[in-house]
Amino acid sequence: MNRDEVIELAAGYALGALEMEDRARFEALLAAGDAEARAALRDFESTVAGLAAETAEAAPPDVKAALLARIDAEGRSRGTLTQILSAARPAPPRRSLWTVVAVGAMAAAIAAIAVGLAVSTVYDRRISQLAREQALLKEEFTRQEELVTILQDPATRVVALSGLPPAPEAKARMLWHATAGGLLVAQGLPPAPAGKAYELWAIAGTGAPVPAGVFAVDARGVGSLRVAPLRSGGPPDTFAVTLEPAGGVVAPTGSMYLVGKL
Amino acid sequence: MQSAGAPTPDDAAGLLARIAEGDRDAFGRFYDTFAGLALGLIRRILRDPAASEEVLQEVFWQIWQEAARYDPLRGSPEAWLVMRAKTRAIDRLRAIRRRGKTFVAPVDEAMAKTPEQPTENPGVVAERRGLVRSALDGLPEPQRRVVELAFFEGLTQSEIASRLGEPLGTVKTRARLALERLRSLMKREGTTPA
Repeated sequence: MNRDEVIELAAGYALGALEMEDRARFEALLAAGDAEARAALRDFESTVAGLAAETAEAAPPDVKAALLARIDAEGRSRGTLTQILSAARPAPPRRSLWTVVAVGAMAAAIAAIAVGLAVSTVYDRRISQLAREQALLKEEFTRQEELVTILQDPATRVVALSGLPPAPEAKARMLWHATAGGLLVAQGLPPAPAGKAYELWAIAGTGAPVPAGVFAVDARGVGSLRVAPLRSGGPPDTFAVTLEPAGGVVAPTGSMYLVGKL
Repeated sequence: MQSAGAPTPDDAAGLLARIAEGDRDAFGRFYDTFAGLALGLIRRILRDPAASEEVLQEVFWQIWQEAARYDPLRGSPEAWLVMRAKTRAIDRLRAIRRRGKTFVAPVDEAMAKTPEQPTENPGVVAERRGLVRSALDGLPEPQRRVVELAFFEGLTQSEIASRLGEPLGTVKTRARLALERLRSLMKREGTTPA
């Protein structure tokens, strides 16, 4: 490796911008004690550190307080553990297994408390964010699970919906299960105008259409809708999609875009 | 940072040596001196005040635990700290971006939109900030872009190359030229950190 290359790697390293492979090469040089690599890096790192001054702020006192509390908690746990262990030492011959277990359990309990103290305010925020993420994941998982159940059940029917004059190219598939509800996936629909949305209808024989949910389509004209089991009307044999006011309506008013029969 | 009353670099190294021995007061002084510098950088990278303070705490906790690993031959305490702060902030930024590709994105977006509340640190820092700004401004635009994309946005050289539509070799050369030039600009301005 020539000198220019070493300097170039040092610059990239100081900026933290090297690819993994280059970084490994440069770290190997550092580890091997390459004087040139070290000098160049030292030089560039201090230049780069100078850039941080551009954005310097006041040191926040609450972070300092949290850190000092954490240090104190750590100190307490160290001290207490030492005391317990030395206190347990004087009478080894008479110490039963039970004592060892008890001292161990006590030490573990104290360590747990100390750790609990240390993991304080900072982690609260992260924990609540993780909880939010977990709730979302759980929701998503439940949704996927329902879909798998629907797909696995032989009683699930597949309905093909085809496009009508407003969008003759549009088509959709409807998975329908009498008690679990279903899933509609549509494609080729024009994006709904502002204030409008597509609404799905389930129709049983000659009965009135029952609203089954509203959905939007993305820029590619693709949209999907998880349909809850219907609470009114008989077992549907026809599904249709119309364009309606965005919130949905109780009876169809707009043009029909898709229709299909079981 | 060499403001009035702040320790000289030797003092800062001395503080780190005391921190390594578990000196709580030395840690407090080290924090008072350098936390603002680290936080400014972290916030510039993350743009989320709450996450930035979390990262700041992680960085200083690491300092408390690993002060013994500071090697004065490697560079100044300030550079050592800034590098750690930067690495941690970029790690967090990448984690946020990775998560951004999933459906949690809206949460992060909402967090990122939290308005910045800059807490200005007047006096010497502001003065020095101006000088550094002028050093960055003293770079030719293509070099400045490379430094900013790498240092503040955490892009790798390949990512910068594809962002700018330039060959990788050009980006590598520019990074080097930029740092060499910055070094001499800062020296001239008398703002070189020790």
